[in-house]
Amino acid sequence: MRLLLVEDETDIQGFLRRSLDEAGYEVEVAPDARTAERLGVESRFDILIVDLGLPDMDGISLILRLRDLGIRAPVLILSARRSVDDRVRGLEQGGDDYLTKPFALAELLARLRNLLKRNSPPQGAATLLSVQDLELDLLRREATRGGHVLQLTQQEFVLLEYLCRNAGRVVTRSMILDQVWGMRIVPDTNVVDVHIYRLRGKVDGAGQQPLIKTMRGVGYVLKDR
Amino acid sequence: MSSKTDKPALRSAAWRISFWATIAFACGTLAVFVFLHQFVSGDIQRRSDAWLSGEVEVLGDVAERTPKNALYGRVVSEVAELAAHEVPNKQASEDTVSDSVFFLQTGAGGTLQLWVGAGDGQAHLQAIRAARILPEQPTDVRVPGFRVPFRVASISIDDGSHIYLGLSERDQLRVLRNLRLRFFLLWLLIVLLGFGIVFLASRRMLSHVRRITEAASRIGHSDLGERVPTTSRNDEVSQLANTLNGMLERIENSMHQLHTITGALAHDLRSPLTAIRGKLEMFLSDTNNEELTEPIVSAIEELDQLTDFLNKSLDVAEARADALRLTRTDIDLSRLLETMVDLYEPSMAEKGLRIQLSDEKGIVVTGDEGLIHRMIANLLDNELKHLGPASNVDISLHCNDDMASLVFEDNGSGFDSEVLEHLFIRRVKGRASTGHGLGLAFVDAVARAHSGTVEVGNRGIGGARITVSLPLANTTVRQQLTTIAQAR
Repeated sequence: MRLLLVEDETDIQGFLRRSLDEAGYEVEVAPDARTAERLGVESRFDILIVDLGLPDMDGISLILRLRDLGIRAPVLILSARRSVDDRVRGLEQGGDDYLTKPFALAELLARLRNLLKRNSPPQGAATLLSVQDLELDLLRREATRGGHVLQLTQQEFVLLEYLCRNAGRVVTRSMILDQVWGMRIVPDTNVVDVHIYRLRGKVDGAGQQPLIKTMRGVGYVLKDR
Repeated sequence: MSSKTDKPALRSAAWRISFWATIAFACGTLAVFVFLHQFVSGDIQRRSDAWLSGEVEVLGDVAERTPKNALYGRVVSEVAELAAHEVPNKQASEDTVSDSVFFLQTGAGGTLQLWVGAGDGQAHLQAIRAARILPEQPTDVRVPGFRVPFRVASISIDDGSHIYLGLSERDQLRVLRNLRLRFFLLWLLIVLLGFGIVFLASRRMLSHVRRITEAASRIGHSDLGERVPTTSRNDEVSQLANTLNGMLERIENSMHQLHTITGALAHDLRSPLTAIRGKLEMFLSDTNNEELTEPIVSAIEELDQLTDFLNKSLDVAEARADALRLTRTDIDLSRLLETMVDLYEPSMAEKGLRIQLSDEKGIVVTGDEGLIHRMIANLLDNELKHLGPASNVDISLHCNDDMASLVFEDNGSGFDSEVLEHLFIRRVKGRASTGHGLGLAFVDAVARAHSGTVEVGNRGIGGARITVSLPLANTTVRQQLTTIAQAR
């Protein structure tokens, strides 16, 4: 996967390049819009990360310019603004996504994966998800572990489904709030943790190997091996 | 729309202006007409007096020169009748001598000698005797049986007899009555016309003012880049518009400045925060040393809290200056609350709190989704943080008129009275509070940015009550107009 990172802050460039490398992306970095345009025309990228505050051009104008140049790769917009303005919202509806700074790396990676998945041809929706001995029947809305049916509420099932779809990868609290409850909020309290705690109580029964692992300071992961 | 816009004509100040202008105008024209009337009636009187004096002199002359024989009476009566035909102001249809003129001659002893006129003349004679008539000066004489007084002129002849010529004032009064009627109709017409002209002119002028007001109110609540309509004329109204536009210019500038400052602040702080968080995360994924992990994890958590604090501070600052930018969409508040309660219920239960929601379905408000979500999360966080175990939280949502009313009630210890006084002031928090003191200021800021209100108080039976009112969808504009109408 070739990724173009358009970001002028060297500090952010540094750690992003490293963690994106580790996640398996082939990263090119452009510190300004002019370089980004040149690189974009010279070679093909699968996905772009564009910071809104560039030294020589506003990020949105750059994205529109790249679109005009025939570059169709999805874009993850990084914004230092608190509120998302209408133009970003427009791009979001056009298939791109945005993330406000500061962000969790796990969330950045998850959003990149989503963008790539959204832009690749659908591979037939699966009706059955399975992670180790955990199985989710999406049609019957039923979860079983080792053959035993788990008594989950509707909400718990949606949460578990989200964890399963991201099995083996870290999901942050704000990703869970966004994807499961549809809210971009930052609660001062441990609301998500309590949901996970309850779910864990049902999924990881006594004597079973725990599936839902807490990554302190980052989020949660559903272990896939 | 509000009643203000339903019937603007009825509430216009144009009525008041036209009313007073018309009163002044009516008094003025009335005074002119009264003066004219006095002048005309005086003139008519003078002319009829002149006629009477002239005729009575001629009659006296004739009576003196005519020999006192059998023909005397005939001759004098003929002359008198002739004179009667020349009565001034007489109606055209009257061709015979009617009761409007009489001629009367008394002998030296005061007995009736000659009478020309309607009736036998005795009543007239009595009346003339009763009235003291000065020679050469016509006088009013009231004769019993006649509604209208007679104007009587007299002359004495050498033989000691008196000649009286009387003219009824009926015709004269009729002329004046006609004149008054016409004056009145003309006056009424002029006054009505004047009222109409003044009303229309002031309506026109005030409609400019109205347009400016409406434009200004629209601008106040949405786009500061707009301007109120101006005209090319350089009158007071266009000066008002220009002044308003100048003021808007300055407000827009300072707003822009505020946005630039908060934007720069946010950007300048966020970039290093992002870099720090990223580096900490990288380090966290590299190390498996538990001793090192713990402080890094708490550092990341504190960074996230710092970011949240930064966001809220800037939101509160911008909302205080009415500069919070909203991306409005329709939000189903009922559904949102159900989801929120669903999200918070486990945490509440964990702490031994019972949460209950009673809501009307389908209450939709227009607002910024992110801000509204964060506002409700804030209220729920508040309850979660401050309530003791085994408390109840009752949330209700209903609409009254065009507002959605969201009420949070609990049976905890309520607010301290000292805190209650300064609750919305930034950074005020109770002694036992653990938050950064922005919570309710943020809730208030979001509500205000959506033209809503927040009321905070203690319930009579103990516990706190927070009521957030937000305008329902599609009624925001109406709400604004009503506010303006009330403010006037």
